[in-house]
Amino acid sequence: MPAEIADEGTFRVRIEDGRHVDLLGTYVLNQLYITAILVLVVLGLAVVFGWLGVMNMAHGEFVMLGAYCAYMVQEAGWHPLLSLPLAVVVTGTVGLAVEGSIIRHLYRRPFDTFLATWGLALLLREGVEVIFGRGYKSVDQVLPGTVDVLGIPYPAYRLVLFSAVVLAFVGLFLFYRASTLGARIKAMVTNPVLAEAVGINTTRLAQWTFVFGVSTAGLAGALLAPLVRVEPFMGLDYLLSSFFVLIVGGLGTLEGLLIGSAVIGGVDTVASAILDKSAGYIAVLTVSIFFLWLRPHGLYSRR
Amino acid sequence: MNSKLPELLAVHELSGGYGDIQVVNGISTRVNAGEVVFITGRNGVGKSTIAKLIAGHLPLASGRVMVCDRDVSAIPAHGRRHLGLGYAPQEDVVFSELTVIENLTLSFPSRSLDRYRTLFERFPFLHGRLTQKAGTLSGGEKKVLSFCRAIAENTKLVVLDEPTEGVQPENIATMSAVVRRLTERGRGFLIVEQNLNLIRETANRVHVLDHGRIVFESLNRPGLRDALISRLRL
Amino acid sequence: MAFIHAAKLAALLGLFSVPAVWGSYAAYELGLYLVYGMVGQGIALCWGRAGFLPLGQALFFGIGAYLAGGALTTFGSGWLVLLPMLVAAILIPALLASLVGALVFERQVGSGPYFSLITLALAMLGFQLANSMEWLTGGFNGLSGIPDLLPGVDRFDGLYYVIVGFLGMTTFGLGYLLRTPFGQLLLAISQNEMRLQLFGFRTGVLKACTFAVSAGVAGLAGALYAPHQGIVTPQAVGFLLSAEFVIWTAVGGRAGLAGPVLGAVAIGFLASGLRDTLPYWEAIVALVFIGVVLQWPTGIAGMIQSGWQLWGPDSRHQPAPMRDIALPMPPRRRTPVLQFEDVTVKVGSATILENLSVSIEPRSINCVIGPNGAGKTSALNAMTGSLPITSGHIRWGQRRLQGLRPYAVSALRVGRKLQVPSIFSGMTIGQNLDIALWANRIGLLERLTMTPYRWRTSVLSALEDRFPFLRDGFRMSGELSVGQRQMLDFALTVASEPELVLLDEPCAGLSVEETGRMTEAISELIAELDATGIVIEHDIDVVERLSDRVHVLHQGQLLASGTMAEIRQDPHVQAVYAGGSKV
Repeated sequence: MPAEIADEGTFRVRIEDGRHVDLLGTYVLNQLYITAILVLVVLGLAVVFGWLGVMNMAHGEFVMLGAYCAYMVQEAGWHPLLSLPLAVVVTGTVGLAVEGSIIRHLYRRPFDTFLATWGLALLLREGVEVIFGRGYKSVDQVLPGTVDVLGIPYPAYRLVLFSAVVLAFVGLFLFYRASTLGARIKAMVTNPVLAEAVGINTTRLAQWTFVFGVSTAGLAGALLAPLVRVEPFMGLDYLLSSFFVLIVGGLGTLEGLLIGSAVIGGVDTVASAILDKSAGYIAVLTVSIFFLWLRPHGLYSRR
Repeated sequence: MNSKLPELLAVHELSGGYGDIQVVNGISTRVNAGEVVFITGRNGVGKSTIAKLIAGHLPLASGRVMVCDRDVSAIPAHGRRHLGLGYAPQEDVVFSELTVIENLTLSFPSRSLDRYRTLFERFPFLHGRLTQKAGTLSGGEKKVLSFCRAIAENTKLVVLDEPTEGVQPENIATMSAVVRRLTERGRGFLIVEQNLNLIRETANRVHVLDHGRIVFESLNRPGLRDALISRLRL
Repeated sequence: MAFIHAAKLAALLGLFSVPAVWGSYAAYELGLYLVYGMVGQGIALCWGRAGFLPLGQALFFGIGAYLAGGALTTFGSGWLVLLPMLVAAILIPALLASLVGALVFERQVGSGPYFSLITLALAMLGFQLANSMEWLTGGFNGLSGIPDLLPGVDRFDGLYYVIVGFLGMTTFGLGYLLRTPFGQLLLAISQNEMRLQLFGFRTGVLKACTFAVSAGVAGLAGALYAPHQGIVTPQAVGFLLSAEFVIWTAVGGRAGLAGPVLGAVAIGFLASGLRDTLPYWEAIVALVFIGVVLQWPTGIAGMIQSGWQLWGPDSRHQPAPMRDIALPMPPRRRTPVLQFEDVTVKVGSATILENLSVSIEPRSINCVIGPNGAGKTSALNAMTGSLPITSGHIRWGQRRLQGLRPYAVSALRVGRKLQVPSIFSGMTIGQNLDIALWANRIGLLERLTMTPYRWRTSVLSALEDRFPFLRDGFRMSGELSVGQRQMLDFALTVASEPELVLLDEPCAGLSVEETGRMTEAISELIAELDATGIVIEHDIDVVERLSDRVHVLHQGQLLASGTMAEIRQDPHVQAVYAGGSKV
């Protein structure tokens, strides 16, 4: 099993166009796209780990749940767009239950959160396996065909996905800057006693922050479902890439998330292009280990 | 005591502490509108614990806390804040990662600083450093920031824990003036403090605490300062 | 004690009789789980004892397995191959782990999740390398056709006994290690690493050694795994196996060495029994694991133990050896002068200490007073390596104190009691005192012998006379009252026999009577040690009784210095104490 997970190469894009490939253009497009996908996937963990300090080892499994929502919508014959609200509802509900039963008791115990969410990850994987079986499911392409971008034919769905991520990210960034919500979450995490003293209901704020984080992970899963193999173990890869992005980028800011995604995506594509897929993977791991060791607060951090 | 003024805080036989260790043993007091009540005493005798118990940051072992005639003993800290109890803790008094503006406006829906205008006139240094992170302020400046936030909130009763710790003398004098002005408008204060000047200038009543119990009580009167100095043994 | 040994021997004999009773296939399966359990024992050593969680233990397990597999397939099985192979399978992972541990732990105090993530990432890196380096590891298909460990030691027959033998060795060996002073220091690390550094222990190195031991055990387990399975694939290095090791350890119980083995065996057999009949079994394991994390941190072993204590003899309290080796007082140097020269400390834009200059005469007791926030504790922090100073010098005789790590400051015979009583609350009073007696005194090899438990000093005897509760060596220090914690913390500081004693509010939270006893003890013991004392204190009665000199700090500066009588007359001091203004 692990071998297949590692070989899957979820984030890698290869456009084979034998006639005339504008190499540099393709490379730039790929790099932008990979960064966007990473941002999409990591956002949920950036919220849950970066803001709440919860090392959610089940993050990838929430992505996986979202992807299975897309599969269910396809099996039921509904419109593909319905997979998005379904993913949000399903992962949000699971998140609410998990927060209330497990996470709430562990906010000040990072090790235990780590282990309990690892157990949760196992549970979700096994639960999905019991319901859907272990094999791969595939979700059909929603927008097949390509669009010309600067003379390079590029898959339409990826382009839509990319634009959606950029729009959502910009929106979130502007909202975060304007509202006091971000300040309140930061206040709650850095000084919970004082936050309560100024009237913040920290219990409820933490709960909804967690639910928001895991439902974005679910949304990411539903959006990515047509591009990847949907299977119970798919979450592991997302989990690790997400942690690496946050480690390199730094916790607690959207800027750090963007930078981390670009670096991890870039290292992966460059090393993969020069050598092979597993070289890309090894390069990402090596970079992350060095960051963990020498610069655990990342490139762009509030600290 | 003028019985016509509404009772903002009533504490009955309050006991509590940390885990199994009881630090406060059966304290009773009350604060009416327009009143300033001090709790003083040496370090480590349970003064801050009283403030935390009243504000809801520690569970009561026994006793009762009433805010505006309502029993809040079972209400969490944020709920007590919404019932009109403001609290400025002794330690970790600001959100260091947030800017001064964010610290001041956190508990309001908008980021408008209108309500702080008169306070900025009194503490001009705050106005000059609005966009800095609060963590870059000195200890005394953080205390002033915390003081301003606690009194700007639309609270009826304000509990301050060592508000003058590390604060510049001129700012302590300003604090004292602000407290007096607000009591004229019906605010009540419960202040844990060792600064005898502040006590002399603003107190209505003083409790001296030792080993979790009130060992001395007095109205503010001439000669109180010397009595307190002998009590506090300097 | 004898009872525990008997129980262990019985368990071992029971294990030896498994093939005869349940047949060789059950023994074959059990052998695999015992090998896994061995890895868990190493995790328990790190996690249950020292408080840091290695998440990538399969890396070392896999290295051991590949080494053994490679050696056996290349050179064939035989006694000549066996010994170097085992040594390599233990030493190479241990060296790698000590390198990783030294690099990580020296950089950061504490056991945050970053170390765990690094080990996890390393295991994944190992997995990738095992997959891609086909010429060495056989790649995805792995090394197969590995012969038996020794000719005649069949994997379905004789190898089981070899595994049980090695498990016995790791259990007794690690068990011994846990009982030595080294093991007790690890416990102290998990309780309060910063405090242990103030006793002069270089905790980063201790942790790195522990990690190396756990990696060596994992490598040994891997070396047994290879001939047991006959094949080694990259999964033996992977992320999933690493995580399962942790789960087995947690469910079985991480506090001891039996727990991880119990966990691996119980989950292993449940899995093989239920996998085919019950499709949800892995979900059940996950639920049990979550339950263990939330509710039963001691796992199965802990439950058995607490159940046992309802009926059986109380096994927690083993009689400690008597303290019957009297140590001489270390030779006294001429205690030097302590000097602060223009010390400024800035954190952000806040000035904590501002051009603080003060000179502390040897063999005197100096009390430091001043309002809250005046910089008293910060001045001590600047001395003991927990607060970097911006400019100026702190000299202790010829040596500079600034820029040193806390353990290095302690090695210069500076002892410190922190403001909040800071003891090892999960350890007994006796264990707390052990740590203080060992401070700057215990040699590297002595840490692995039992003699240091028998040490006693004249200072300790004097402390026990002053504070009789210190004789109650089996009592958990976490059960002590606030006053007793202060006294224990003071006793620990003094028992390490420093030449410069820094006491931060030793009388806070004490009753009047306790304050009196503490004051007497401070002046008596500092005199007995012939040391220099610096005491931060708010209670003026205490200051009056203790001090040769009093130093008043205000807003990071020295406001006044002198005898108590002089200080009382000083108008600046009076003004500060009355109203916070300097007149």
